[in-house]
Amino acid sequence: MSKIGLIIGREYTSRVKKKSFIVLTLIVPLLVVAFLIGAIYIGMPEDKKLNILIVDETNIMSLHIFEKQHIARTAKTTVDPNFQYIDPGAKFNENYSFYNYPLDQGKVYADALDEFPTNDKVDLILYFPANIKSSKKVKLIYKVSPNSRVQNYLNLLVNESIERVRLEELEISKETFEQLKEKVAMDVVNYKTDKDEGVSKKATIGFFFGLLIYLFIFLYGVQVMRGVIEEKTSRIVEVIVSSVKPFQLMMGKIIGIMLVGLTQFVIWIALIFTIVTITIPIFLGDKYDPTVQIDGTTTTHVATGVQPMMTNQLETQAMLQDNEILMFLLNEVPWVSLIGLFLFYFIAGYLLYGSLMAAIGAAVDSETDTQQFMLPVSLPLVFAYMISIMGIDDPNGAAMVWCSEIPFTSPIVMLVRFAATGGEGLGWQLILSMALIILTFIATTWLAAKIYRTGILMYGKKVTYKELFKWLKY
Amino acid sequence: MTSTSPIFSAQHVHKSYAQHVALNDVSVEVAPQSIYGLLGPNGAGKTSLIRIINQITAPDSGEVYMNGERLQPKHIEMIGYLPEERGLYKKMKIGEQALYLAQLKGMSKRDAKDSLSQWFKKFEIEGWWDKKVEELSKGMAQKVQFITTVIHRPKLLILDEPFSGFDPINANLIKQEILQLREEGATVIFSTHNMASVEEICDEITLINKSKNILSGKVSQIKKDFAGDMYTIHFKGNVVAFANAVWGGWELVERKQIGEHEFVATIKIHDGNTLNNYLKGVLEAIEIVGVTKVMPSMNDIFIKVVEGQTAINSTQNGAE
Repeated sequence: MSKIGLIIGREYTSRVKKKSFIVLTLIVPLLVVAFLIGAIYIGMPEDKKLNILIVDETNIMSLHIFEKQHIARTAKTTVDPNFQYIDPGAKFNENYSFYNYPLDQGKVYADALDEFPTNDKVDLILYFPANIKSSKKVKLIYKVSPNSRVQNYLNLLVNESIERVRLEELEISKETFEQLKEKVAMDVVNYKTDKDEGVSKKATIGFFFGLLIYLFIFLYGVQVMRGVIEEKTSRIVEVIVSSVKPFQLMMGKIIGIMLVGLTQFVIWIALIFTIVTITIPIFLGDKYDPTVQIDGTTTTHVATGVQPMMTNQLETQAMLQDNEILMFLLNEVPWVSLIGLFLFYFIAGYLLYGSLMAAIGAAVDSETDTQQFMLPVSLPLVFAYMISIMGIDDPNGAAMVWCSEIPFTSPIVMLVRFAATGGEGLGWQLILSMALIILTFIATTWLAAKIYRTGILMYGKKVTYKELFKWLKY
Repeated sequence: MTSTSPIFSAQHVHKSYAQHVALNDVSVEVAPQSIYGLLGPNGAGKTSLIRIINQITAPDSGEVYMNGERLQPKHIEMIGYLPEERGLYKKMKIGEQALYLAQLKGMSKRDAKDSLSQWFKKFEIEGWWDKKVEELSKGMAQKVQFITTVIHRPKLLILDEPFSGFDPINANLIKQEILQLREEGATVIFSTHNMASVEEICDEITLINKSKNILSGKVSQIKKDFAGDMYTIHFKGNVVAFANAVWGGWELVERKQIGEHEFVATIKIHDGNTLNNYLKGVLEAIEIVGVTKVMPSMNDIFIKVVEGQTAINSTQNGAE
């Protein structure tokens, strides 16, 4: 085996055998999956049953709600012959039970409020004041604040009710109303594929990979630095550089640690994939009844509740969105080229930063001395990370274009751009970015080797930038 | 030159760092199977020279030869180096570690393993293979370091302060091993401040001070050269008679009484006089038991030479 092979082997096996490596490698996928399941779980409609007391001083506004409830419970289609049409609005949520507060028996709204604290059966009071037409307000009174899903749904029901009353008053026919309310959807499509490319969502996937690169460069770059410091402080380095060239030692360490990172990445991906395929059906099987989603149309409006008479059904909305994310992840993300590019930029970015970190490790006597040198090295990385967050919405903005070419930021930024566009239209920009980062890591490795060679045998000297510059000339 | 052609030689080597000259026209020749002392105060340039031999750095100018060939990467495997500041990977098992270092010196894994198990047995540390360095005492770690230095049977051993930190028993063990290795054909370059060990085991030395080679040669010859006309005279008789026997041409340096009417005196013969003349004079006064020439210790020579050079330099600087 060649000497650099021996060094790579030692760096690799001594790290892979460490308990901390094994633990981290196993725990991270579990955490990721748990997080994923948790996120989907939280996003699910809540099952909690709510009893809502309606105090309606107008006597008419709440009719719609009770009618809906009645239809849902009896499966009859007609209740009130006075109304011209029946319920084109949101599907009635079976978890909600509405009760009418008997104002005709001499009670008033204030009585309902008095009883509310002691009445366990009532979760919420929905109050329609008499002056609703002028105030344009209803009130929802709670003990425990209802979540936004509940609020949006009740808001929707209230607006449906009011719309119906107004239709009555204005004597507008059902047909006229439906014509009036008919919505036009706007399809945002790419001229080539005639479909929506979901740029932002794709950019988010790219950002996720960029984030991984950011973490890996820090995690493993710092390991390179620590490894160099360890060899320096334990004074074994002089023995080793009497057997191999300092450059071989440095490169062996950088490459060995890179292989550790790649190993960890591959295990993570494999484990996450395995765990997801096994656990998702178990955890979410009952929630993911595909028949629930069949009636979902493809419009992508956001349900805000203030838009009444939505053609989409509110409860299935969340399901639908989850489903869309799944479909998007499975079908729309160019995984192969994205992972290929991830590997390229991870290796190139790591070599760039890893060589600088090796130089830093060689220049100092202990880890506490590294700060002054770490700052300028980590700033561009943090900067790239922040630019990428902002760039998710506009992946082809000027800042993103520039940062995807500059080798110190391109590993993170280019991934976001590539994922967002699927590589389309990047052309020479991608090639230039790749060429630049290759040239740059060759240059930083060369510079780092010079600093490293001098630094590893230099003890007890407080190193300054001026000093480092001198070392470049030795 | 046949048998005496040097295994290592450096000719007019210069090495300087940014604002500091580490080696200035240093030449060294190391005969095969000798133990060569590289002496000098801290910062004199010894480590710079050693690093050049190890090809950790290259000289700015001058020639360096190994076995008659210009120094080149293949020679690394012929050299075993024990640095003054030496260490091991703290978290690595010492067996694996020794194996790794031996392989870096070009040994095959099997050879290294066989050879290591012999050395571990010899140093009575067989049971330590799976121990980590952080579990060992300093002395134990030093045994391992010595083994990793000699494991690949180097032709040239470079030992920088090999005895520092050893207890006397281990120091003696290492000394015996060094002598044994020399018997088996190895040459040893030995850098130290410890002049007693130099006298004990070195055949030849070079003294480097302020990046210059200021003294080199065989230890016995150097001692002869530095010996003044000083003698110890062991005699029986009357001290007054001894003192008055010869007038002029000598001085008494020291006198010790070791028995009734029995003395040892150290005298110095002045220029123009000889020991013979002096002895003729005292023979009638006292009974001589023994006469020996006083040889300077390497320590004395070291101090004399280094301080002498400092004095010369300061007068030169003063004159400028």
